[in-house]
Amino acid sequence: MLSLILILASAIYFPGVIVKTKAMFSGRKGPGILQPWHDIYRLLKKGSVYSTSSSFVFQIGAPIYLATVIVASLFIPFEENNAIFSFAGDFVFFAYVLGLGRFMLIVSALDVSSGFEGMGANREAFYSMLMEPAFFILLGSLALFTGYSSFHDIFANLHYNSYFSFIIAVIAGYVLANITLVETSRLPVDDPLTHLELTMVHEVMVLDHSGFDLGIIKIANNLKFILFSMLSANCLIPQSLNIWMRMGILLSMQVLFAAGIGWLESFRARNKMAMNAQYILSVNAVALILIFVVMIIKNKI
Amino acid sequence: MTVVLFKIALLLSFGMFFIPKNIKYIFGLSLHLILIAASTRWAWHVLNHDTLTIALGVTTWSGEITLVIDQLSAYFMLIINLICFCGVLYAGGYLKPYLPKKRSVFISLHLFSLLWLHGAMLLVISIQDGIAFLLAWELMSLFSFILVIFEAQKEATLKTGINYLLQMHLGFALIMLGFLIAANQTGELSFEGVRQFFSHSNNIPLFLVFFAGFGIKAGFIPFHSWLPRAHPAAPSHVSGIMSGVMIKMGIYGIFRISLLLQYDLKAIGIIVLAAGIVSGLLGVIMAIMQHDLKKLLAYHSIENIGIIGIGIGIGLLGKANGSSYLMVLGLGGALLHTLNHALFKSLLFFTAGNVFYSVHKINMDHLGGLAKNMRYTSIAFLIGALAISGIPPFNGFISEFLIYNGILNQMSDSVFSYSILSVVSLLSLVLIGGLCIYCFTKAFGLSFLGSRRQEHSHPVKEVPVIMLVPAFILIGCMLAIGLVPAFFVNQVAGVLQSLTHTTITIEPLLNSLKSISYVNITLIAVLVVIAALRAWQQSSVKVSEGPTWGCGYTAGDFRHQYTPTSYADSLRELADPVIHYKRVYKSFEENEIFPPPKTFHTESKDLVEEKTILSWVHLIVNHLPKAGIAQSGLINHYLIYPLLFLVLIGFLIVLNIL
Repeated sequence: MLSLILILASAIYFPGVIVKTKAMFSGRKGPGILQPWHDIYRLLKKGSVYSTSSSFVFQIGAPIYLATVIVASLFIPFEENNAIFSFAGDFVFFAYVLGLGRFMLIVSALDVSSGFEGMGANREAFYSMLMEPAFFILLGSLALFTGYSSFHDIFANLHYNSYFSFIIAVIAGYVLANITLVETSRLPVDDPLTHLELTMVHEVMVLDHSGFDLGIIKIANNLKFILFSMLSANCLIPQSLNIWMRMGILLSMQVLFAAGIGWLESFRARNKMAMNAQYILSVNAVALILIFVVMIIKNKI
Repeated sequence: MTVVLFKIALLLSFGMFFIPKNIKYIFGLSLHLILIAASTRWAWHVLNHDTLTIALGVTTWSGEITLVIDQLSAYFMLIINLICFCGVLYAGGYLKPYLPKKRSVFISLHLFSLLWLHGAMLLVISIQDGIAFLLAWELMSLFSFILVIFEAQKEATLKTGINYLLQMHLGFALIMLGFLIAANQTGELSFEGVRQFFSHSNNIPLFLVFFAGFGIKAGFIPFHSWLPRAHPAAPSHVSGIMSGVMIKMGIYGIFRISLLLQYDLKAIGIIVLAAGIVSGLLGVIMAIMQHDLKKLLAYHSIENIGIIGIGIGIGLLGKANGSSYLMVLGLGGALLHTLNHALFKSLLFFTAGNVFYSVHKINMDHLGGLAKNMRYTSIAFLIGALAISGIPPFNGFISEFLIYNGILNQMSDSVFSYSILSVVSLLSLVLIGGLCIYCFTKAFGLSFLGSRRQEHSHPVKEVPVIMLVPAFILIGCMLAIGLVPAFFVNQVAGVLQSLTHTTITIEPLLNSLKSISYVNITLIAVLVVIAALRAWQQSSVKVSEGPTWGCGYTAGDFRHQYTPTSYADSLRELADPVIHYKRVYKSFEENEIFPPPKTFHTESKDLVEEKTILSWVHLIVNHLPKAGIAQSGLINHYLIYPLLFLVLIGFLIVLNIL
């Protein structure tokens, strides 16, 4: 329950911090921290326009996407505080339930018969297919290190009595941060602010969503951010501190992460489209290095 | 009593040829129902009590045939009955347009073969004796051949059918060879003989012979090449039954043999695991490159057989390690995936058949926009696509979850080689899952959604109810497995427990599965809440329709949509080593001022088949004409040949070689 409250709490300021950081670096004053949520609230009240070529699939796509992200957030623990759902192998379910949302969003993009949205859908399917192994290898190596296979047990035992855990935690945090960027389609894989449809990934998929549907897709995207950053925070925060300290560290880490994304998006250019696959594969390679590190630590090699 | 019913149903089937055309289908359906009733009663008895031995009362030269139905047979029996029932029900609608066109005897032959295929499969899984087993196996191949060539007036179909028949006989020969090797040592031509052989000789060679033989039926790569040919050529109810249950007879065989193994389990487990990984990955990569919807589904059967192979491999490694929990995760996952694949693959073939029935086209380049006219078909296909991609809350996830758990469990084993194996299997299973989502967003999105890519000469309508009923029966079963997985996994564990005579505790697994049911129910509840909120919001605001946003370009039409070729293009480089992918087009000349209309299409070739089978065949075919020298056409030459033969024999005897 605690983790859910923390997720909601950080979701309030997370998108605002990104926007604020970017504004600061470009020398503007920028909107208030709550502006992104205000925009979403306005979208939720608006009417919708549906493409004449769309069918029922387009109508159910966005609600299923949000539902899967909400359900996935019930799996995120906060260290020794149990998540609402926790069982052996729950990270497999976590990844696959997000897959359901992605599947529905991709097919809703294909439903409007636009070449641009088809392109975005295709890229989303391709990149997430390449990214998935990194997530599983990462969690697999954490499972190997701790001997457990649920999020809660993994994170509760990660820092138990071993200095090596910090090496692992740092690599794991790095891989998770990269996964977050790919999953939520931020720089360097995709630039959400680009105005050329040919080079977009996620944003071009939802071009024809409007009103309520667009609003819930944005909510889901913001939540997805928090889910993955909660996972990296879980890797990094040491357990020896007391609960209030850890909550404080977590919330400030989220601010730092959001500011980091804002900083990255202000100073870095997007990858060339053709280089994205290589970039994602290099993240996979880091994950593979992690599993070999774990094997060495566990005296398997 | 039930045996008599079983035999009566098979005997009465000959009556099919003598009754009027319009009641043939009803007659066939009732015979199927008799078969189903009889065999389900056996299976029920076995699952609740003990192994059943029934004398069939038919004698071959090896003695009287007895049916020995144990838990494994019972499990497969229930799968066969469910899928055959749905398939035959579906055939009622699918065959209707053919009835006036086809001659009565062809319809009779088709329905007759459908019944006998059902009967032969039931016999295959319940016979332990070698010769009778091979007879039933042969019956199954022959009748499925007749079913495949239903449209034999097309030359391509007939050719495909003969290809299928040849490959099946290669498999038959290998299985027979396996039984004979065992019988040569033990004097017993049966599964019992194989077991005795395994208990005192090297297990690996004989297992490999059986694995190749059964693998041809199951479609493990490189024995897969009949699948992508036969499935598109066959009518859809036949593809559904063949892909749903007939290829599972190969899996049944591999299971049977695996359970008899005594030694070298580790090596054999690794072999099966490797075969599974290769089939799974290559199958799905080849599937993505296909344009023909049914061919795509056929390649997915290969992929799913691969997943089952991974499960069996993990299970055998668990058995080798003496870990019964790992064995249940692996073998149980494989068994459950057999059921799951039967459910969603026949569902997908039936819905693909619906598309063909209404549109008369099956190439994805010509489809699109069907969801608006064929609503129920597209819902059914979408659910099938989600299930085959292993996405919760459907059944495909459950079996993959078991296999994942097996892999994770094995990873923490203290031996390095096991850990590496599990990393490799984890990677490939994840990749298979990701590629499967890629492939099915393509298959569903491009054939059912968007706007149509080609004008059809007739209005596209939803199919008759009788063709939708089987699809929704299957969906019901899939949801049941997805929502109450603990019950089904418990049944499968029970089957394994009785087969291996060990007590297995799977409490931790069952707890996980119970949580999964809660999560799935939560997922549905959350979805309902969001949908209700959305409906409430939509009722209070202005909702309108408009053209798709063309990014400023207003003259966009259906030709600007993504096509199957362009969707698969991202994967071209990855797929090129296994499927040679060629773009066929003529580029613009430098001084072409008024260019004529140009065409562009892509071609793909199955390189695995090319390298492993066709290259040898071509070699032989190229060199055979040289033997034609001997065929001179002169009678005196032909008279010399026997003389030369006798001289040769004489020499051999003199030299004491013969």
